[in-house]
Order: sequence, then C-alpha cells, then structure tokens
Amino acid sequence: MSEALTRRRPILPPGSTAWLFAHEMRVAWRGVLARRGGNWRGLIIVSAVVILFTTFVGVPLGLLLRHVDVPVTKASAVIADMVIAVIGSLMLSQTIASAVESLYQRGDLDLMFSSPLAPRKTLTVRFATLAVNAFLAICLFFSPLFLPVAIVGHPAWLSVYVVMAALALTTSSLGLLLAMAMFALIGPRRTRAIAQVTAALIGAGFFLGTQLSNIIGGRRTGGMWAEVMRTANDPAFHLPPGGAWPLRAMMGEPLPLLGLAGGSILLFALASSVLGATFVANAAAASGADTARARAAAKGGPARFSQGAFTATLRKELRLLWRDAALLSQVLLRMLYLLPLGFLVIRSIGASDAVAVPGGAAALTFMAGQVGGSLAWITVSAEDAPDLLACAPTRPAVFWRAKLVAAFLPMTILLIPLLGALTWFSPLTGLVSAAGCAAAAMANGLINIWYQTPAKRSDFRRRRGSSWFATLAETIVAGLISVAVFIGAMGHYAALGPAIAAGAILVGLRRNEAQIAQAIRDAA
Amino acid sequence: MSDALVLAGLTKTFRNPAVDRLDLTVRAGELYALLGPNGAGKTTTLRMVAGLLKPDAGAISVFGIDALAEPIAAKRLIAWAPDEPLLYDRLTPVEYLEFVAGLWGVAPDVALPRAEELLKTLGLWDERNRRCEGFSRGMKQKAALAGALIHDPKLLILDEPLTGLDAAVARQVKDLLQARVDAGATVILTTHILEVAERMADRIGIIQGGRLLAEGTLDDLRARTGEQGATLEDVFLDLTTETEAAVA
Repeated sequence: MSEALTRRRPILPPGSTAWLFAHEMRVAWRGVLARRGGNWRGLIIVSAVVILFTTFVGVPLGLLLRHVDVPVTKASAVIADMVIAVIGSLMLSQTIASAVESLYQRGDLDLMFSSPLAPRKTLTVRFATLAVNAFLAICLFFSPLFLPVAIVGHPAWLSVYVVMAALALTTSSLGLLLAMAMFALIGPRRTRAIAQVTAALIGAGFFLGTQLSNIIGGRRTGGMWAEVMRTANDPAFHLPPGGAWPLRAMMGEPLPLLGLAGGSILLFALASSVLGATFVANAAAASGADTARARAAAKGGPARFSQGAFTATLRKELRLLWRDAALLSQVLLRMLYLLPLGFLVIRSIGASDAVAVPGGAAALTFMAGQVGGSLAWITVSAEDAPDLLACAPTRPAVFWRAKLVAAFLPMTILLIPLLGALTWFSPLTGLVSAAGCAAAAMANGLINIWYQTPAKRSDFRRRRGSSWFATLAETIVAGLISVAVFIGAMGHYAALGPAIAAGAILVGLRRNEAQIAQAIRDAA
Repeated sequence: MSDALVLAGLTKTFRNPAVDRLDLTVRAGELYALLGPNGAGKTTTLRMVAGLLKPDAGAISVFGIDALAEPIAAKRLIAWAPDEPLLYDRLTPVEYLEFVAGLWGVAPDVALPRAEELLKTLGLWDERNRRCEGFSRGMKQKAALAGALIHDPKLLILDEPLTGLDAAVARQVKDLLQARVDAGATVILTTHILEVAERMADRIGIIQGGRLLAEGTLDDLRARTGEQGATLEDVFLDLTTETEAAVA
C-alpha cells in the first residue's frame, strides 16, 4: 500500500494554479456523476448516443453544408446577436446558481483559506471553474451537430468556441457580480433562495420566450419576428457599433475575435480581483449571519402552535418547501411551464377554435398531473426524519394527506386564475378542465404515495425522479384523464370511457398502508 | 412497582440474528442502562420497541399495552431519541417542537409553555428562532431531546444520548434525564460511556449477540462476576469477554 503511494507522482506541481484547477474540475465532475447517482453506465450510453449522432447526422450535415457560406448581413448579425443573448441567459442562469453555491461551500473554503495558498489564486481558479463549466455545458449541447460542420467545410467557424468561451467568462463575471450584489442587499440566507429563483427565472426566460406565441397570440409574435427581420433588412436601419462583432468573430475574423476574447478576459480579471476580497468577507459573513439573525429574532417568543398531526405536518412541509431554495426553483420552473398552456386555451376560445380549445384543456390537465405528481414526489418522498414520523402515534395516512395538500397548494394558487378565466369564457371547458386538473393531480399524488421512495431532503436534489414504474403509471393515468377532458370539453359522454379506464388502473395500482410500509422496508 | 417495558422472546434476524429470543423487563420509574459491545443488538432492540422495526417473533408490552397489536396506543407513551438527531435542518427549534407536539397531539396551550420551559432548561432559548442547519452537534442533540420530551413521555428511549457532547452539554442532558426519572418517567438508554451507566442507572442490562448476558444493579453484577469493588468497566469486560471465549 505504502509502496503504491510513494510511487505515485503528481502530474501537476501541488499548489500550482493548474493543480488547483484540476482539483476544482475533478470536484465538479464528481458532482455531475453524483447527480446521476454515480452511474457510469448511463454516461457511457449517453456518450455512445452522442458519438453515433455526430457520426451519422453531424458528418453528413457537414458534407451537405461544406460549400454553404453565411453572409454577414444585418439580418444574420441580428440573428447571431439573438442567439448569443439566449445562450448568454442560460449561462448566466447557471453561473448565478454556481456562484452562490461556491459562496456557501464553507468547509471547502475554510480548508482552502487555511492553507498556505494565496486566497487570490484560490478564488480566481474557483471563478474560472464556473466559466469553464458553463462553457462545457453549452458546447456539449451544440457540438455533435456543429463540430463536424466546422471541421468538414468551415474550419474558421471553430472560432465559435472562442466566442462561447468569451461569453462564459463574461456571464461568470456578471453572475458573480449579481451574487455579490444580492449578498450585500439582502443578506446571505435570502441570497441563496433568491439567487436560485433568479437563476430559474432567467433559465425559464428561454422557454417562455419560445412560448410567446401562446402567451400573447401567434399573430402578434409572428408580427414581432417579421418586424425584427423587416427592420434588419431596412436600408435605413444601422446596426449599433459592434453589433456585427459576434457574427464576425464566429466566422473567424481576427479583429472581432480578439476584441471579444480580450474584452471578456479583461472583464473576468477585473471581476476576480475586485470581487475576490468581497467574496472572502462574504464567505466569512455567511457563517456568522445565522447567529446575528438569531440574536435579532431572539426577542420574540414562540408563535402559536398548530393543533394536531395534520396541521403540524402541513405547516412543516410548506415551511420546508419555501425554505429549500433549490427545490423551490424547481417547483417554480415546473409551474411556469403551465402558463403558456393556460394562455393557449384561453386564446383558442377567443378564436373559437373547435379543436384547439379541448386540446389545450387536455394539455393543461396533463401538465397539472405532471406538476402535481412532481410536487407530491418531493413532499412525500423527501423526508429528513422518517423515524420521527414512524414512531409518532399517528397513522401514516394523516401525514400523507398533509403532504399531498402541501404539494397541491402552490399549484392550485396558480391554476385558480387560469381556470377561473377559462370558466368565464367557456363554462363547460372551465369546469371539465378544473375537474380534470384536480383528478390528474390527485391520481399522480396517490401514485407517489403508493410507490414512495423516501430519502433525505439533502440528497433529494441529486435524484432525478421517482421510480420508472411510478413515472410510467403517472404518465398513463394523466394521459387517460387528459383524453377524457378532451372528449368532455367537446360535450360527449364518451369521456367516461377513458375516465373509467384511469380509475381502473388506479384501483389496480393501489397499495394499503401495510403494503407501502413493507415496500419501504424492502427498499431499505 | 409496575413494569414499563416487557420484552418476551423478542427476535429479529437480518442476515444473522441481531436480537435472539430476548427477555427483558424495565420497571416503571427507573433509569435502565442497556449496555453491550458494538453489534450486540441494542439499537435493534430499541428500534423494535419504538415501533420502527417489526420483530420476527416475540412480544413487546409498554405499560401493559401490547405494542405490536396496538402500536398507536403504545407510541403515545414513548419518546425515541437516536444517536443521530431526528431534526429538520431548515426548521427552527420552536418550529420543530411545534411539529413534534402536533404529531403527538399535544394541545397548543399545553405545548407552548412546555416548549418554552424545555428550550430554557436546555439553553436553547436564545437560539429558538435560528434554523437548526447552523447548530453544533450538541445543540442538535439538545433540540432533538426537547422534541422527545415535548409530549411528556412515560417511557423515554435514548440511543447513545451523550455521544459527541461536551462536558457542559452532557451534564445538562444527564440532569434533565435524572429530573425526568425523579418525576416518575422511565428512561432506557444505551451508552458506551460506562461511567454514565455506573453513576446514573438504577439497573444495568448487558447484552451480547442479541441475548441478555446479565442484569441488575452494579452490586448484582459485581456479585455475578465475583469482583467486589470492581468498576462497571471491569464487570462489563469480564462478562463480554467470558461469553466471547465461550462462543469461540
């Protein structure tokens, strides 16, 4: 053993910037693996799919486009700018969340700062890791198609990677700046929650942007897009100074490329050096903040206690849901996805569309089922003290009911105005949709109770979802209820068919308390 | 004196027998220390009593209630505090106590003053509105202990309650447990700190391989090993080593 240890010689000099960077990347990589349950097999399968896709789709596409050039016009420059804005928003979303996470890695930072390494080096490397991770995430997304196209016919287009790196450095600097600003304005604890939500909103901005046609009406967004293109092609329109630089840089023109790369490196260096000192102070403050807050809050006595196990559990779940920033942002994202569907249905009613109205109502029902199921999965299966509940003199059904109510409350608040508007415009569609949404959410909530997979809340963010069986069952049942809503919204009694089928499946899936307890014990 | 807990032929097997036909009686109002080497079956036994594990065979009676037939009724009388505190990091101690009081159905007007008293007794009053995520191990243990006591249990089961606590916190916990016993509650605890058992316990049970090796007051155990004036550590090592040798 000791022989093996003495034989191993480090490739990089310990304490060097490169060594530190390699450490940060290793930690980040292991984080990625942990989020996938440490499953190498899944990563190998994904890699194989990417390689196959690159070979059989990317390469032929590259051959097809090898003689096609992208003209540098005002329209193409505007499109390139818009693409950069979208990718930048996704990168910013990632770096804000990562910056806050870095700030709260107290044990890790304490270790670093207590070592003889210069804090500035430690922080610069850590900040650079944020940028590299953002860069890699986006490159992995577009490279299978883009890389063969660039290599086969347009080597100059490889400059896109330099532009992406510049974008990653810029958004990392902005992410750090935003995290620091939030820290200064609202304190460490709220920063963690608000940053997660902000990151989720910025990320969702991309999705909501693509759904603009559903939200404000197809003709208007079509008009907006046409307007952008018309304006870009108008001889009187002039791009702002540097407006074509992203496109030119991506095409490999040296001056814009050097300008963007140099500017981003300068911004990053400036942000690292200026924010570095603040970061150290913030990291130290993060540990003392709780105490300070507690002292401030210590004046008040205990508030009124709730009565009974149901209310106590409901309040506890709502508190935990609200205080778990990462889970909260996930929940918020899932609920945001409901919005475009709701608007689609309402808009279709306005347009008197005979198929789109029930279709939209069915889609809304399906989404409500999915969101309800996801939220129920979080509240039912994420339990930090299962033994406490198990040794309490209360039937498990009481906890489960409270957890379901906690899961459905946020979604109900969002759905009520949508369904209210629907009912106002079309009472039948509104009522059928309301019943469908409630049934789908309840059905999926019940499936999550019957097939729960308890784990600690702290481990929960790494898990992607409930079991494949439960997910499949949820999809089928919510699908059948959606079909029933579709038919019902058209005023046909045939809606009873799929509704009864969904009910029959639920009866088949049902587990009693003893069976659930046994399944949990077996899994443990 | 009536019995707080009676275990009869209690058996639990995982891959190997963890608890093997265990017979044990704890009298009401006593502090009973359950000792044993690692893997002796102490925690498994206590988890079965708390209703967290189902025994393969045997009976559990809590103040005359059949805990296997009427688990809810038995649980009303019990508090369980394991070595890893049953806490929620994102709740404050007050919110945690509110939750636990709700689970045990304690009326709010009873629970609120009791929570205040417990938080003050355990030195958590100034931290009552601070989330548990920033607490030290000792503070977490104290918060969990407050949770265990909020419903004024008749039978308090503690698994290694003093592990990782500093001297001051350990003293607070010991004083609190003694006060509970003085007030008529029954306490069963496991510990590897034999001095604690020696000084606090009314009776001591030593188990190994899931079976009870010996039981009684310290003097009873000394008499059993024939070592007058021996410490509990000497007695414990004698008994457990003797059994290991016999098995070997």
